[in-house]
Amino acid sequence: MDWSIYMIQGIHGLVYGMLMFLVASGLTLVLGMMGVLNVTHAAFYMLGAYLAYTLTAYLGSFWLSLLGAPIIVAALAVFIERFLLRKTYRGGHQLQLLLTFGLFFIVGELMRVIWGTAPLTVPVPRLFSGEVSVAGMSYPVYRLFILGFSFLVLIVVALILSRTRIGIIIRAAVGDPDMVDALGTNIPLVFSGVFAGGAVLAALSGVIAAPFLSVYSGMGLDALMDCFVVIVIGGFGSLLGAFIASLMLGQLHSFGVLWIPKLAVVFQFLLMAVVLVVKPTGFFGEKE
Amino acid sequence: MTRKVYWLAWGIVIVLLLSIPYLLPEIWIHLAVEALVFSLFAVSFNLLFGYSGLLPFGHGALFGIGAYVVALIFRNYPDASLLLTFLLAALGGVIAAAVIGVFSVRLKGAYFALITTAFQMFAFAVAEKWRGVTNGDDGVTFSRPDLHLGGLAILSMKSIHHVYYLTLVIVGISILACWLFLKTPLGNSAVAVREKDVRASFLGYNVFLTRYTLFVISGIFAGLAGGLFAFFEEFVAASCLNLDTSMSVVFMTVIGGPANFLGPVLGSVVYIIFQDWISSLTRHWWILMGCFFVIVVLYLQSGLISLIKPEKVRLWLDRRRG
Repeated sequence: MDWSIYMIQGIHGLVYGMLMFLVASGLTLVLGMMGVLNVTHAAFYMLGAYLAYTLTAYLGSFWLSLLGAPIIVAALAVFIERFLLRKTYRGGHQLQLLLTFGLFFIVGELMRVIWGTAPLTVPVPRLFSGEVSVAGMSYPVYRLFILGFSFLVLIVVALILSRTRIGIIIRAAVGDPDMVDALGTNIPLVFSGVFAGGAVLAALSGVIAAPFLSVYSGMGLDALMDCFVVIVIGGFGSLLGAFIASLMLGQLHSFGVLWIPKLAVVFQFLLMAVVLVVKPTGFFGEKE
Repeated sequence: MTRKVYWLAWGIVIVLLLSIPYLLPEIWIHLAVEALVFSLFAVSFNLLFGYSGLLPFGHGALFGIGAYVVALIFRNYPDASLLLTFLLAALGGVIAAAVIGVFSVRLKGAYFALITTAFQMFAFAVAEKWRGVTNGDDGVTFSRPDLHLGGLAILSMKSIHHVYYLTLVIVGISILACWLFLKTPLGNSAVAVREKDVRASFLGYNVFLTRYTLFVISGIFAGLAGGLFAFFEEFVAASCLNLDTSMSVVFMTVIGGPANFLGPVLGSVVYIIFQDWISSLTRHWWILMGCFFVIVVLYLQSGLISLIKPEKVRLWLDRRRG
């Protein structure tokens, strides 16, 4: 009996950690590739969740919202990159940080105007509404779907970056944008694409999180906090670091709630502080 | 001649500040106190942002801790000495800055912003969960004790006029102290480190120590501003530590202009007035404030204060004298 509680908590931590990683991966990609710490990312995630609510209600299908929400959010991201963020590339990182910070508050408040502040629930899709027996206890299938879907998305992203021509161009553009530009690649387009790609990852995680965590107006800030801690621990711009950090935080969260519920929030910050003392750049971060 | 004009202008400003309680209706005095408190907060923020090139998104942590120090002291010891309590608020800011600084000032740019934010969220989580001390979201209420001027007189803090004057004196002295601090060799070395940290370190400046000292000194005034804010509101809750506090000081400083020492002061006055005005029009005033902020970030990076041009006045005066 005791053993199966740990098992369930372990799986629960894995689900939460993978979801956290899916959110953080988009942020890490944009940070690593474009050098922009995109605070608006958390608003994209929240927008994904709210769109899941509305699209599911109107179209009657969760799966259509999983398709539609990322498209809408990506369109918004391209607009922001093309008309606002692009003006700040010459001005340095602080300007980009200030801009995305301001946009985070604008987009967040616009969502409060549209959807109000009361929490909303998104029904779990029928296909995954059941429960399975894990280690003698029943466990919601939808959470296992989150786990599987996150893995799938991340494998696709990793394959695109490492195996395709687009991936090669993106990685080259990070190393030396001027050179790639001179070789005939449309660099502004690549940047728009990467920014939109990060937004798609945020929206996808927002949609799949909606039936699990419910939709509320503080979810953007909560995700932002988790992402920041993940990035600090994992190392700036490192996907592998973010992966390990998210899984660690997932377990910490899950078992923290089990053992010392009141101090569960404190643990992740303690872990962050310890990592910062031992290795200021995080697990896999390079200097600066 | 210009020197005389300069002193005359300052004289007028001081007289105006002193006569605000007699010139304006009471509701405006409340706004003036708020503007004074946030001016100090924004100046302390700008010691880092403008003068050492660090962008702390989590500066509200220091402000909130100062606020909690004042609220908890007056809640538990209603007769505590006023000035001593403010000193302890500043000390609270210093200790918090000393701890956060160890972790954060080794990094800069986005990473520094991110780590300070994470620490602020940590402080918020503690304030929200540790209900035994902080009372969480419901907050701590207290009433302002009177100011004892060394047994000579007692100034009642029930009157908002007296609160205004006390705030004006403390904020005035503190902002002056910040200005004088920036004239010291340490203040200059902060600017050198901001411009090119590698070069500064080759010249023998200790980059880490310079940034760290500046962060701690900024903590003094952020904590003090927080304490003054709690004293004015007679209330503090966990929401004082959330990201909105940090957001407002970022907005104020950027809107006013971080390149000028007085930019943040102008920014906080504009912010407080603008906020009061648009929040009476719509509940969702953040959208307008956010748009205003984004426009300033994109098109007016030296802030509103760069629109004020004293050299134009000087030219005009020179021309009049022929």
